[in-house]
Amino acid sequence: MPFLRVLVADDEPVSRTVVGAMLKKAGYDVTFAADGRQAWRQLSAANPPSIALLDWEMPGLAGPEVVERIRARGEQAPTYVILLTSRDSSADIVTGLKAGANDYVTKPANEDELVARVNVGARVVELQTALAERVRSLEEALATVRALQTLLPMCAYCKAIRNDQNYWEKVETYFHDHSGVSFSHSYCPTCYDRFVKPQLDALDEVTQAQRRQQEK
Amino acid sequence: MPLPVLDPAVIATLRQLTPPGEPDVLSEVLGLFLSDAPGRMTRLRTAWRDGDAVAVQRSAHSLKGSAGNIGAIAMLAVCKELDEQDRAGDLAAMTPLVASLDAEYAKVAAEIQRLIKPSEEIRRSGE
Repeated sequence: MPFLRVLVADDEPVSRTVVGAMLKKAGYDVTFAADGRQAWRQLSAANPPSIALLDWEMPGLAGPEVVERIRARGEQAPTYVILLTSRDSSADIVTGLKAGANDYVTKPANEDELVARVNVGARVVELQTALAERVRSLEEALATVRALQTLLPMCAYCKAIRNDQNYWEKVETYFHDHSGVSFSHSYCPTCYDRFVKPQLDALDEVTQAQRRQQEK
Repeated sequence: MPLPVLDPAVIATLRQLTPPGEPDVLSEVLGLFLSDAPGRMTRLRTAWRDGDAVAVQRSAHSLKGSAGNIGAIAMLAVCKELDEQDRAGDLAAMTPLVASLDAEYAKVAAEIQRLIKPSEEIRRSGE
């Protein structure tokens, strides 16, 4: 995924430059921070980097603290965080992951491993962005449906519905177009007595009258 | 045969990181080490003199990161030992390690000077 922005935050210029050069070579757009506060400033600005590589030990704010701040925001497409650490005890790794990091890389970073892990992050970011976009469009659709439910102009006599283009439509046409619902026509017992039965009776009368005529 | 001061595999990795038409990453990283490490070495020595084991550990830890990134094998080993020593809080045990860190750092700095010089001469002759 080209041009994805990655933040590399490390107070050691040597590590920062090496990690940055590895990611630039892999096609990422790299920005840098020399301590935890600078990192947090970039991550809390508008349009923040999608992936952040945070050194565990930085002056100001340590990596895990920055992660906690990011996670406290509860975004739909949050920054993918990889902690850079020279600590390799499993207790430390668990602490970092519990703080909300997605992954960790031990220092000094191996180029192939680092790039592979950042690529995993890029895939997750891609999926999350697509998902957030889908949720947004569904929410928009839901809002439209709610608006329809709220106020629908209907003819008091024939029950036709006025649509968005100001045309009067049959109820069944309107709902079919707006919600995909199909109607099968039938009649209720009340309407059977009121409309259907009189028609059947009238038909019966006509038929009997015709028969009487023929018999004459 | 003694170990090389700088791991050739790490140096080769750094060398191939340079994108076409951009400044050499290896020279940049080695130059950064030369400008950044002396300050950290000074802080480590000061902390050791002041008997501040936590500050010695902090400096050793950051030097470990820098040394690891340029493949300074022996210096990295001493930094690791210092970093771990502190957890026992034994300042006396740190004394020989601080001395050998000084020696290893001097070797690394000399090796970097040797590596950077030819490439700068090439750059100058190419101008």
